[in-house]
Parts: sequence; C-alpha cells; structure tokens
Amino acid sequence: MSPGLQRLFDTSGAFSHPATIITLCAAGAGILAGLVSVPLVSHIAKNADAAAEIRTRTLTWMVIAPLVLAPVLAGALWTMLVVCVLSLLCYREFARVTGLFRERVVSALVVLGAIAVTLGTVDHWDGLTAAVQAFTLCALCVCSVVPDRPQGYIQRVALGAAAFLLFGVGLMRLGAMANDVDYRPLVCSVLLCTQLSDVFGFCVGKLARRANAGTEPTRLFPRTSPGKTLAGHLGALALTAPLAAGMYWLTFRGTTLAQPGHLLAMSLLTAIGAQMGDLVMSSVKRDVGVKDMGALLPGHGGVLDRCNSLLLVAPAIYHYAVFFGGYAKDTPARVLTGAWFHSP
Amino acid sequence: MSNWQYKPASDHALPPMKRLRSERREPGFLSWTAHRVSLRLLRWWLRCYNRMELVGTEHLPRQTPFVVVGNHSSHIDALVIAAILPDEVVSETFPIAAGDVFFEVPAIAAFAAAIINALPMWRKKVGRHALDDLKARLRSGECGYILFPEGARTRDGKPLPFKPGIGMMVAGSDVPVVPCRLIGAFEAWKPQTLFPRPHKIRIEVRRAQVFGTVPDTREGWNAVSESLRRAIFPEFPEPPAKKPEKADAATPPPPAAE
Repeated sequence: MSPGLQRLFDTSGAFSHPATIITLCAAGAGILAGLVSVPLVSHIAKNADAAAEIRTRTLTWMVIAPLVLAPVLAGALWTMLVVCVLSLLCYREFARVTGLFRERVVSALVVLGAIAVTLGTVDHWDGLTAAVQAFTLCALCVCSVVPDRPQGYIQRVALGAAAFLLFGVGLMRLGAMANDVDYRPLVCSVLLCTQLSDVFGFCVGKLARRANAGTEPTRLFPRTSPGKTLAGHLGALALTAPLAAGMYWLTFRGTTLAQPGHLLAMSLLTAIGAQMGDLVMSSVKRDVGVKDMGALLPGHGGVLDRCNSLLLVAPAIYHYAVFFGGYAKDTPARVLTGAWFHSP
Repeated sequence: MSNWQYKPASDHALPPMKRLRSERREPGFLSWTAHRVSLRLLRWWLRCYNRMELVGTEHLPRQTPFVVVGNHSSHIDALVIAAILPDEVVSETFPIAAGDVFFEVPAIAAFAAAIINALPMWRKKVGRHALDDLKARLRSGECGYILFPEGARTRDGKPLPFKPGIGMMVAGSDVPVVPCRLIGAFEAWKPQTLFPRPHKIRIEVRRAQVFGTVPDTREGWNAVSESLRRAIFPEFPEPPAKKPEKADAATPPPPAAE
C-alpha cells in the first residue's frame, strides 16, 4: 500500500494532540452536564418541560457526538466519508424545505457533484475537485433545460447551485482538512468552536434577558432571527473568539499560523462565520416559513440546524490555513488516481 | 418567469418513523430512485416468472389525479398494478396499504414506503380523518392511488363485497377511476403459500369511470362501489352476500389492501 493510502487509514496519534483531547473532554463534559442537570431542573427548579427538553437534547448529543468524533479519530478516510454523509443529509433537508427535492434532475446532479467532490478530496487532487465544481455548475445549467420547462428555470438552477456550493463544496472543506498528516486537531477545533458558539449565544442571551427583565432586548436581525438578541451575538463573539484563538494556537504551534495576527484573523473568522452560517439558514427558514430544517435529531430539529454554523467556517478556515500556512501541502497527492495516470 | 413555489415537503416536520407512517409522505430522491429501480426489476420478474399479460393498455391513466381499483386476491396485486402503469405517472402513484399490516414494523414500513411507494390506511386506530387526508391529497391533483375496494384479500378466490370507502374518495369529483380485473393472481400467490408461484397473470384494464354527478352521500358511495364492482366482475351482476353491518355505523370502512 502506498504511503498516501496508508495515511487514509492511519489511526496512530489519535489521542496525542491536546486540541483533540480538549474537544473530546468538552464533548464528554457537555453530555455529563446535561445528564446531571435533568434531575436538578426537574426536582429543584420544578420545571418538568425544561428537564424533558434537556434530557432529549442530551440523549441526542450522546448519539451524534460519537457518530461524528469516532470517524475523526479512526482515520482520514472515515473523516471525509462522515463529512460527505453530513453534506448529503444537509442537502436533503435543504431540498425538502425549499421544494427543490421535486426537481429530480437537479437533486441528482447536486448529490453526484457532492460525491465527486468527496472523491477528489479523498484522492487529494485539487484539480479534480475544482473541475467537479465547475462541471457540476455547468451541468445544473444545461440539464435543467432538458425537461423543456422554462418556467422556474432560474430559480431551480440557482437553488441547486446554492445548495451544491454550501453543502457539496463548502461543508466538504471540513473533510478536506483531513488531507493534512495531523488533521485531527484542526477538525476538532472547528467542530468544538462552532458548536460552542451556539451554546454561548444561547446562554449569554438568556442571562442578559434575565438581568434586564422588563425591558425589550435589542435584536440585530429581528426579522431574520427574532430569538437572538444583541447581547447573545456579542456574548458568542466574545467567548468563541478567544476559545478559537487558543485552540488554533494549540493546533498550529511552531508554524507561521501561530502568529498573533493569523490567530486573531482565524478566531474572528470562526466566531463571525459561525453566527453568519446560523443567520443564513435562519433566512432560508423565514423565507419558506418553517421552524426547523428537519426532525431527524430530537430536541435539535434537523441535521442542518446543528451544522449551520459549520457551513461558512469550514471553507473559511481551510482556505485560510492553505493560503497562509501551506496546510496539507506535504501530504501525497492523487493517492488513488496517481496509480492509474502516470505523469511523464 | 413564474415565481418559485417554496413548498416544503408535506411531511417536513415529521420524525423519520412518523414520516414513513404518514399519509402525507412525499418520496425523496433516495426512495424515488429505489422505487424506480425496484419497479423495473418487478416488471421484468412478472413478465418472466408470471408471464404477465396486459389487455386494455389504452385505458391506463396518463396523468394525475386518478384511482386504479382492482379485485384483491393476493399480496402481489398492488405490485402487478404498479408495474403496468405508464412511466409518467408511476412516481406519483401510491398503493394504499393496510397500516396495521404494512406499517407497524419499522423494517416492513421502510420497505413498503421506499420500494412499493405505499401509503398507509389506518383502519382501526385512526378512522375517517385518515381517509379525509388521502381524499384531500387525491383531489389536489398531485397523485394517483391504487385501491382495493374489497378491503381485504379473498381467502378462497371468490370475490368479496365492495366497501363504500372508494365512493367516499371519488363521489362528486372528476377524478377518473380505472377498474382492473386481475386473473390468476390468486393462484400465483395463495394466502396459504409463503412464496409466489409461476402462475400466469392476466390484467384486464377497463374504461375509466368518473363520478362527478354522484352525490357525496352514503347512497352515492354505495352506487360508486357497485358500479366499479360490475365493471370488474361483469359476470356477477348481483353483489355477493355481505356480513351484517352494525346499525349505528356512521363511517363505512375504508378500502385498504391487506
């Protein structure tokens, strides 16, 4: 087996990096805190509804945390595959909410495009990934002509292209991170910071409302996301940015990306990108008039409700690290196709 | 340019298991693909194994809405009717199956939903509003149904009385109802046998009937089911003997394939 292929299945060093350990501990601590708080809320605060909701959410976390983190620990290939599944699930929910799923040809092209991007990622062949992106967008434009139904052409092509770029390309950059030899710290850091950004926003917003009971809270986007207050946005930003800076410092120690300027830029990209991803999906939900993107995750809504903060952060951090830090440049490229197509 | 209809799936907010068991279920890309592939295989199987013969192709519906009704003599009936439908309507056609038989066990429900594209009819638990949901969906014009007005498979090969549920669904509407006579399906898969046998199956498709002028009352429903019974069984001008019905039965039992 070639070194490139070996790397895809390499499990060594899964628990060796502090950023990975911190993420695993945080996931475990979050689940434990959820389990402990159920009886506290139920018996001490006498709030059975809140206790039931925390219980449902925690039980769901107990399923999804291992489902996402175990492949990340198990190897690069499994990380890419789990991100591909995540992308397809997100697309499924987006399509069912917008009605795009009724356009079978567009759906087929987006799904095939996302799978082809995954193949390009596994192969570590940026040329293939770029070509797939261009060809999928062209195919969306061309194949939507075939049914000879010009009514709604622009909308279905635009929705298909937006879905492909958000889920097939953007979210797949989380899988592309696994092309570095030491990918686990970065993937874990992005996952931890984006998920905690939601928690920070919720907690700070709640605390601020309690502290200012009786006064109407200021909202940044009252029509897009009426539940989120300015205090919640600022709280999430103030807590996520330092956490992200710390995690990226651990991840990139000894590289050019560990400089304060880069850490500041990446932490802001993470903190702001997570909130913007959330707002992007809130806009879709408000436009369509639904509360959640799905019902697959009890207590959370859909997969896309859980992953929305990743949508913009994953491509932003991946390309920042590649552009300024040469991320994944030393890993063998074309690990699958290299054996078939020999360069002279 | 017309405005895009941002119409979420009718079953959007339902968790997976409830979605499978819902009358509002809309197939997604995966189940659509699974259904189309399995239908291709099924057509091939029925042609080879059961030497399926089709008469009256010109009467088959080419656009939604419609209802195809047939005599019910085996589990293979819904599959046979689904297999003869034209490609342009097959994805929008839902066999109506008994919920308590096909949708209680998750694995069977997933098979019935993804492969057969069946919708459940909850005969005992839910009652009339389930039929109303199916009726509303049919009359919205977006789908077609495969129904068996007898409500259950015959156990001895003799026709059973037609129940008036089909009348409730179509009386007073312009939805065409296509009667089909299945011959040989009982012998192909008798209730006592575990697997289908290679017996020849012949399907005779009759001319579509429309019941727009029939009143949406109990008498109208009975008239609809009787008219369809005569179309399917012209050799039996009189309906078979019914079991005594309860005097206070306000809601006729709905048709559902068992």
